[in-house]
Amino acid sequence: MPHYFFHVRNRFGYVEDEEGSELPDLEAARARAIDGVRSMLSEEARAGEIDLRGRIEVRDPAGALLLTIPFAEAVTVHTGPPADGSKPGIAA
Amino acid sequence: MIERHLMKLRARDEVTPEEEQAIRSIVRELRHVRADTRLIRAGEVLSESTMLLDGIACRYKDLRNGERQITELHVAGDFLDLHSFTLKRLDHDVLALTRCTIAVVAHDDLRRITDDHPHLTRLYWFGTNLDAAIHREWELSLGRRTAAARIAHLLCELYVRLGLVGLTDGFSYRLGLTQTDLAECLGLTSVHVNRMLKELREGGLVAIRDGMVDIEDWEGLQKRAEFTPDYLYLERRPR
Repeated sequence: MPHYFFHVRNRFGYVEDEEGSELPDLEAARARAIDGVRSMLSEEARAGEIDLRGRIEVRDPAGALLLTIPFAEAVTVHTGPPADGSKPGIAA
Repeated sequence: MIERHLMKLRARDEVTPEEEQAIRSIVRELRHVRADTRLIRAGEVLSESTMLLDGIACRYKDLRNGERQITELHVAGDFLDLHSFTLKRLDHDVLALTRCTIAVVAHDDLRRITDDHPHLTRLYWFGTNLDAAIHREWELSLGRRTAAARIAHLLCELYVRLGLVGLTDGFSYRLGLTQTDLAECLGLTSVHVNRMLKELREGGLVAIRDGMVDIEDWEGLQKRAEFTPDYLYLERRPR
C-alpha cells in the first residue's frame, strides 16, 4: 500500500509528520486528513476557540504534494440568523 | 521465560518459591508472532489464557465501519486474558501491536493451581482487578482529559508499567507503536496525535523518536496529565 504523510500548518506553526501512514489510495488519504482536521477542531470547539485558517498537506515519501485540505473545507459552518427563524441577539 | 510476569507479581506481594514453581510448571507453548497478529478473536470459545512475554499487545473493540478503540495496552509480563478463565469467551479482540512473544496456560491447569494455592488465586484476582482499574482510568481520559493530557497520561502509565518489569532505561523506554495505534488508544486521529506530540515535545516534557519514548520532564509530564500511579496499586503488601 502507498505511504502518505500528513503535515499540518496552522497558527501554531508547521507540524511535520515523520511517520506517515500506509493507506489503500489517495481517497483514503483524503478521508484520513479530513478526519484529522475534524478531530483537532472538535478539541478547539471544546476550548471555545476555532481557527479554520490551517491546512493539511498530504505528501508522498519523496515529498511531492498530493493534496491540500484547508481546515475550512473539512467542516460545514452555518452562521447567520438562528435556524428557528427568531431574530438574533434579542433577549426574549 | 516468565521473569517479567514474576516481577509484576512481586511488585505487589511476595511470591513463594512453591508458588513460582507452580506458575512455571503450567506456562507452555512459547511462540513468536509478528506485529498485527490477532491473538484472540471475540466470541471464540477459549480453553486457555495467553501471557505476553515480550512486546506490546492490546485489547480492542470496533464498530462496523472499522473504527477501533483500544481499551488497554499490555506489556511484557501481563496476562492478556486471565479473565477468559471464568468468561470462556471474550467480548473483545486481542492484537499484537509489535512483534510479540507469547505463551499459554490451559484453563484446566489454572483451575488446578488455584485449587492448590489460595494465595496465588488472590494474586490473580488482584491482576484482573488491576486491569479493571486501568480501564477506569482510561475511561476518565477518553471522557474528560484533553488530547494532550490523554497522550501525556498514557506515556506516564507505560513508563511506570514498563519500569516494573525492567523495561525502562532511565527516563526512556521502547514503545514501538505507530501514531495510529496511539490514536486508537486515545480516541483521537493520527494527525491529531502528531500535532499534540509536537506540543508536548516543544513544551520540553516528552519526545517520541523512532519508537523510543524519552521523558524529558517527568514531574511536568505527570502534572500535565494529572497522573498519579494510585490506580496501578504499587504497594507491596499481603493480598
